[in-house]
Amino acid sequence: MTSHQSPTTFAHMDAGTVALVLAGLVLAATGLGVLHRATQGRARTVADSRTVSIAGVALGDRATLLQFSTEVCAPCKATARVLDDVAARTPDVAHVDLDVTHRPELASRYRVLQTPTTLILDRDGVVRARIGGAVRRDVVVAELEKVLAA
Amino acid sequence: MTAPHASSTAAPALRTGIDPRGPRFTAGVTAVLFLVVIALALLGLDTAALALAIVNALVFLWAAIAGVQRHPYGVFFRRVVRPRLAPPAELEDPVPPTFAQGVGLFVTVLGIALFFVVGPIALVVAGAAAFVAAFLNAVFAYCLGCQIYLLLARAGILGKRGATAA
Repeated sequence: MTSHQSPTTFAHMDAGTVALVLAGLVLAATGLGVLHRATQGRARTVADSRTVSIAGVALGDRATLLQFSTEVCAPCKATARVLDDVAARTPDVAHVDLDVTHRPELASRYRVLQTPTTLILDRDGVVRARIGGAVRRDVVVAELEKVLAA
Repeated sequence: MTAPHASSTAAPALRTGIDPRGPRFTAGVTAVLFLVVIALALLGLDTAALALAIVNALVFLWAAIAGVQRHPYGVFFRRVVRPRLAPPAELEDPVPPTFAQGVGLFVTVLGIALFFVVGPIALVVAGAAAFVAAFLNAVFAYCLGCQIYLLLARAGILGKRGATAA
């Protein structure tokens, strides 16, 4: 083992130790990926209900799917397609896709830490649910039904 | 080297869609190469580790400037791998993976610069960071570039209206 390290140089590791370090790194990265995947697309019901009002954004009469995107974001496009389709199939529900690339103050105000982030708003523009990452259609539809039934 | 904000000025001709599996294949090759950098540095083969880190940086630099469509591993994917696969379900905008190449360049150059200050540990740390990003991209299709771009935009560093207008 490498117990004789100085601050600037390693005591050189043997091949077996190096293989262990690399395996540990691959394992750690896999853990991160699994953890991240588990949080993606999951809806969180929002407790502190805030009303969304953004200049120039028209909300739906019964509910709004408010998506925050950036220019440099491939999953945002897939999410936009799903939300567009859900909104088109549900009367009086609007899909709004906001690009926060040029409006960072919106990302700060609505605490957007990743794109896409989707907020589901009720008829009064109150945030009811929040979905981080690429959305899954069944999750969106289920959350939207809860909001519409309320 | 500066922060990779120049990639947003990609020419309109580059805006045609690409097979999303191309950048993931590229990231897979990149991840393996960074594991080799780390292994060489840990084994005490500093010169070899530094040389491979520089090669990785040059590939990042080329892809960040020329666009991910001209990435050498991407070209290999298109010519050799893709013809053996079924067509992709959908195409992807090449701008995000090109931005990610710039992020990779930034991390790698930082590691190379710090190598001359603190020694091979810099290549191990920067290599590990680059490996994790590339691995997540290859295996989980996780878009680190999106997150970094958003954080930079929130901090007011990127994305100012007209800041990159030609």
